[in-house]
This record gives sequence, C-alpha cells and structure tokens, in this order.
Amino acid sequence: MEIKDKIISLLPDAVITEGQYLTATIPSDKLHESVKRLRYDEETWFDYLMSLTGYDDGANLGVVYYLSSSRFPQNVLVVKTFTSEREDAQLFSISDIYETANLNEREVFGLMGIRFINHPDMRKLFLRNEWVGFPLRKDYNADPAINPINIESNPESDVLTKLTFTHEGVVESEEKIFEDDEYVVNIGPQHPATHGVLHFRVSLNGEIVKKIDLNCGYIHRGIEKLAESMTYPQILHMTDRLDYLSAHINRHALCMCIENALQLEVPPRAQYIRTMMDELTRVASHLLGWACMCMDMGALTAFIYGMRDREIILDMFEETCGGRLITNYNVIGGVMADLHPNFLQRVRDFIPYMRKMLKEYHQVFTGNVIARERMLGIGLLSKEEAISYGVTGPSGRASGFRCDVRKVAPYAAYDKVKFNEVVREEGDTYARYVIRLDEIVESLNILEQLIETIPDGEIAAKTKAIIRLPEGDFYSRVEAARGEFGVYISSKGDKTPYRVKFRSPSMTLVGVVDKLTRGEKIADLIAIGGSLDYVVPDIDR
Amino acid sequence: MNSEMFLVVFFTALVLVAGGLGVALLISPKSFNPQKSETYECGIPTRGTSWMQFKVGYYLFAILYLMFDVETVLLFPWAVTVRELGINGLITIIVFLFILLLGLAYAWKKGALEWK
Amino acid sequence: MEVKNIYIKGIKHEEFNDNEYLENMVQELRAGGVDIMTGALDDLINWGRSNSVWPLTFATSCCGIEFMSVGAARHDFARFGFEVTRSSPRQADVIIVAGTIVHKMAPILKRLYDQMAEPKYIIAMGSCAISGGPFCNSYHVVNDINEVVPVDVYIPGCPPRPEALLYGMMQLQRKIKLENFLRKAKEKK
Repeated sequence: MEIKDKIISLLPDAVITEGQYLTATIPSDKLHESVKRLRYDEETWFDYLMSLTGYDDGANLGVVYYLSSSRFPQNVLVVKTFTSEREDAQLFSISDIYETANLNEREVFGLMGIRFINHPDMRKLFLRNEWVGFPLRKDYNADPAINPINIESNPESDVLTKLTFTHEGVVESEEKIFEDDEYVVNIGPQHPATHGVLHFRVSLNGEIVKKIDLNCGYIHRGIEKLAESMTYPQILHMTDRLDYLSAHINRHALCMCIENALQLEVPPRAQYIRTMMDELTRVASHLLGWACMCMDMGALTAFIYGMRDREIILDMFEETCGGRLITNYNVIGGVMADLHPNFLQRVRDFIPYMRKMLKEYHQVFTGNVIARERMLGIGLLSKEEAISYGVTGPSGRASGFRCDVRKVAPYAAYDKVKFNEVVREEGDTYARYVIRLDEIVESLNILEQLIETIPDGEIAAKTKAIIRLPEGDFYSRVEAARGEFGVYISSKGDKTPYRVKFRSPSMTLVGVVDKLTRGEKIADLIAIGGSLDYVVPDIDR
Repeated sequence: MNSEMFLVVFFTALVLVAGGLGVALLISPKSFNPQKSETYECGIPTRGTSWMQFKVGYYLFAILYLMFDVETVLLFPWAVTVRELGINGLITIIVFLFILLLGLAYAWKKGALEWK
Repeated sequence: MEVKNIYIKGIKHEEFNDNEYLENMVQELRAGGVDIMTGALDDLINWGRSNSVWPLTFATSCCGIEFMSVGAARHDFARFGFEVTRSSPRQADVIIVAGTIVHKMAPILKRLYDQMAEPKYIIAMGSCAISGGPFCNSYHVVNDINEVVPVDVYIPGCPPRPEALLYGMMQLQRKIKLENFLRKAKEKK
C-alpha cells in the first residue's frame, strides 16, 4: 500500500517488519514524537488507538500499540516499544494524544509494572494497593502465601502520584484527587444500577457531580495470565465469561484469530451459522441493555418486557447450543454441533414477533415525557472525543463515529448480506438509547436474509489434536454488542500462547463516564451509565 | 358517643403497636458486631464526615412541598362537608386557594422550581 | 421432631435429592445435646419466615444474569416469597452470591454479611462461588467463599439453570423450617 512508504518516511528511527500488519519498533525516547507525527499527518491520520498491550519477553518489558484511522479504517499499524530496565521500568505515555491510553496504561502499570512518564494519574488499576509483585511478568511468584486473602477493608487513598519529565530528568510528584472537605459518596460495588461490580467515588456539590474517580478490579479474575498456561482449545472457555452478554461473539473472535493464524479455512455453512448466532446474541444483548436501562430509570415494566422477549432467544440457544447464557458453541474450525431441525422455523417466527414488540417498546418508554427529559441533551459526547476515547459500538455510532467492524473489516458471512450501519449525530443519552432499538431492526434484517440462503455442508474443519500456532503476533476484531472486541495472541510456537490480550470495549466506555457526567446531577449518572451499557467483567477481565 | 369511639380507636392502636413491638422484642435473636452499627455505603467504609454545609436548594424544595401538602390537608375537611357549607364555603375555599396560587406563581417566576 | 414433616408446596419430600443431609444435621444436633423439638409455635413462625426470604441485590458476574432471569417473568421467584430484592443489607435476609469473588471483593462481601440483621443466610450460586470454578488457578480468585462467610446452600452449575436456582432456594426454605427459632432466641440472651 502507498501508505506504507508514507509511514516509513514519518518514522526514521523505527525498525519496520512485516507480519499480519505492518509493525514498527521504535526506541522508547522517540516514541511520543513519532506517534504524534502519525496522528496528525493528513495522509495517515491514525487517530484511533485500538489496543494497548504490555508484554514481557523475558529480557525486556514493552508495550504494543495497534493504531487505526477513522478516515481510512482499513489501515492498521502496529507500533512496539520496549525498555530493558526491569526494576523501575519507565516509558513515555501517549495519553495526551489518545485519551483511551489513560486507563490502559494504568492497567499496564498494575499488572506489568511499567510506569508511564507524563501520565496524569499513575495509580495501579486492578489490584489492591498492597499487592506484592506484578502478575503478568514471566518471573512472577504466584505463591498464595505472599498475597493472602485479606478481609480487612482497603480504603482507597486520596492521593495520586505522577511522573513528569523536566529538564532535570524524571520527577515524581503527588497530587490530591479529592480535597479534604469535599463530600465524596461511594456508588459502590454492591449497587443495583452499576451493571456489575464497579466502584465510583463521586464528589458532590449538592446534587451536581463535580468529579468521578473510578475504581475497578472487583471482578479481576486474571484471565490473561491463566490463558498463558492453557492450550488453545481451553482458552475458548474463558472468552464466554468475559462479556457474557455477547458470549458467542467473543468466542467467535478468538476462534477467528486462531484460524487466521493457522490459515485454516472454515466451511461456509459454519460461517453462516456463526453469523446467525452472532446476530441473535446481539439482539438478546440489546434487549437486556434496554431493559436494564429502563429499570435503572424506574420503569420496571420495561425490564419484564425485555426479559420476556429475551427468553425466546435463549430457548433457541438452548435447543441448538445447549446453554442459555454461556453457549460454548464455536470451536476452532467451525461450530460444535449442527443446527437443531426446529431452529430455522423458530427464527422465522421470531422475526415478525420482534418487529411488533419493538413498536410496543417505543410506546411504553420512548415517548414518555419524563424519559425524554431525562435523556435528551444529557451526557453529550462529540465525534472527536468518541474517537479519542476509543468509544465504539452503539455508543460510538450515536456520536457519529462510523466504526462498525462488520462494515470496515467484514468477517464470516457479513459481506454477503445487505444492512445499514445505524449512525446518529447527536451523541446524547437519547441517541444512545434509540440506536440500540434501531440496531435490533437491522439485526432482524440480517437474520431474514441469512435463513433463506444458508448452504449445506460440513460444520467444522478438521484440526490436529494438538494445536500449535506459528510464531508471531496475531490480532482479530469483531463487532460485539458493546463495541469492538479484539483478541491479540503472541505466540512462540508452543501449544500454549505466550501472551493473550482481550481488547475490551467496555473499558473505553467506562473511561468516558467521568467526562460525560461532570456538571450533571446524580440521577443523570445512572442514566448515562445505563445508556453506555458496559459490562464489568469485560473491563476487569 | 364520639369521645368513646375516639378512646376505643386510641387504645386499639396502642395495643396493636405495643403488642407487635413487644412480641418482636421477646422472640427476636440478638446479636451484635461492630460493623452493624456502621453506615452502609455499598460495602465500602465511608469517607469524611457528613456534617457539612447544606445546599439551600434542598430546603426550598422541601418548604414548597410542605406548603402544598398542608393546603391539600386543609382541603379534605371542606370536601367532606361541602354540602352543608354551601355557596359560602365554596367562595371561602376559592379565596384560600387563590392566595396559595399567588404564592406558587411568585415561586415559579423567581425560579425556585428549577434546581440550581 | 421428624424431618419428614417439612412440607414444601408442590414437591413431595421424597423427590428432594438431599434428605440425608437434613437428617444427619438433626442427628448431630441431638447428639450434641441441642434440643430441637419444635412445637406448633415454632412451626408457625418458621412457616412465615421461610416463605418470605428477601435476597440482597448482589451479583458479580454471569450468574448474576441468570439470577435476574429468575426474577423476570418466566421463572418468577416472587411466587416463592423471594419477592423484593432489597438493595440494603439491613433489610435483606439472604445473600445469593452469584458470581466469582476475587481478593478485592472479599472484604466487601464480609462487610455486607456483617451488616445484615439476624437471622441471615448465604446461598453460593455457581461454580465460581463454590470452588473458584473455571478460574480456580488464578492468582486473584477466592477458591471457596466458605473461607469468608458461612454458606448454607451450594448450587452447582456454570451458570446454574434458573430451575436449579429455584431448587436451591427451596432447599434453603427446608433448612429454615428445621430451625428452633424460640430456642435460638433464648440461647442468645
């Protein structure tokens, strides 16, 4: 591609290699200016940071960045940097160029031990403050006696540390998050409206929110570290439990990554089945997202309606896949079992029923004066902010960011069906609410086209008994119900991966809550959280 | 007759409430640990004190609500005896409502119904 | 009293799977010298209590969605008396621990359990709460919530079907009906 020459000319200090995508390894002191050039040059315009991963290759600690562009979405560039200092590893932060790097770099500090210079808030993200060691490092001592279960409450400190680069070198300083006399309320882990276990510390001025400090990690299960000791078919079970509402789609992403690495051809019947199950999962997830958002705002009837219709989809899953929520259906090479004979007829009956029910949903909630007052004009997210924060999925498309992976990088059977990418320009809570219901309509259109044209054939390609991926880095992305879900596997040729990273759509969504809620009332925080529709185990992995 | 009825109602209420609380006192299990007396804040210990300067908007909303609640309470006796009071009562109650409506219009115009 | 007297509407005593546990519990208590003859008053109180056990809204991960499905219209737990899920532990009777408990969440769970009022129960739902589940080798997962809080009923599954959760709730109701409520109150004094 011609863009390759432009990139090489912009990065004079980099070592360029070819792999799945063009990879540039840049020394750590030249990283910030090189990435800035890539971001602002008119021909490349890499303004969307897809994924930020810390890695440890035994000798060096480093970070891998996957960059893409909102103007030229087909271009993907991989940037790597590293440092050989292990005791106090420091790299330069790019959180002033991409806002999404803020939370990701905190995660890398907490799990890998690399501190980032010029980052505004260098605290650990997932683990307790007194945790000894950095779990994702290869020399981590996992002895449970070093980090026992501590049932004493661990109050969060009010002070954050920063590393700033001055002419004297790197200077460490401290800053207060909250003043002593501010009124801070914990909207805590155990709360009916946080969609999981998320802890917000909210500083209030009467009803108005001044600042929100996020504290996650209450469901951090260490999946990425577990995956390093499991074989590839065993990792598949972890993905269902990440963002459990798009369980099917997550597993599809991992299977795609492994199949692309092995260059395994998936039979067309399996592609069609995977696409249909993906769309059904998307409808089920949007129904639950709508139901929970309305329940958080007080309309319990909407919750009962949404769950009722979701049960019909779960019946279809149960008949074919065996599970309701955790379906365990995709395998490497295809799907586990063929469709049940009743499946197609059930889908045919479901599509007109759902179209009728959507009219009822709009009648129940959308036109209500109170609902509109609570949603219109609240929580505005502009398109540039959505791209910088990495907000994808329905929330990103409600701000005008055309980021649907099904259109940008089509996979499975998506290039064989016609559907619209639903995009709105307003970026407020109402746009995020209505776009989900519109996306259900598009998913029903896709299902209608697929059930008529499903081909016969095998349902899974044959694979070896022990699967070994070739050496290298592999990345694949899909459109989950919340946004773009990516899988990064770095393999050294063994039967277990060297590093696995799941690019979480919900982490970007929760990173933008602070920005959206400043100046709004507390009740708006609940409405904004419901409209973003994040799922917390996806954030904490 | 009215005073006897009143005494009957009063003592029934007393017996029911005292009986319910007394039975609960006798048969309830008693246990205590220090966390039980702490404030509940979603499982996290609270931060800072709650004694701080109050936002005056809460007071305004509460006072307005109280006023119109008392107005409603005073409407009930009129509604019960409306036939006996006749046209005189109607004019009296309209004057009463009109005065309170003036107060509502003043509060509306001054912006007390918006949250600031 | 005989364990056979426990009556749960809709399912006969013989069809429950774990009757031996209850009979063993009764034998052990009797051997330890605890008198668990329950009279008619205890039966009345226990009948009222077991049919009105209110859970806390506590869900950490995937099992939480199945818990929400049980609360929705198709499998309804309101008809068992688990009517309203209370958000505050002061008003709740049972914590259904639905989902994985990690090291960071353990103190929260302990604190919530301490803040509940007696009599209180815990149901461990899903394999993550029973033994760590698929994540038992992880550095951050608590491998058995019995180390943190005392558990009354375990419901296996990943996630357990809604019918399995209802069965577990019925087992809890049977356990409650065995308690000698007045004796417990007198002893605590």
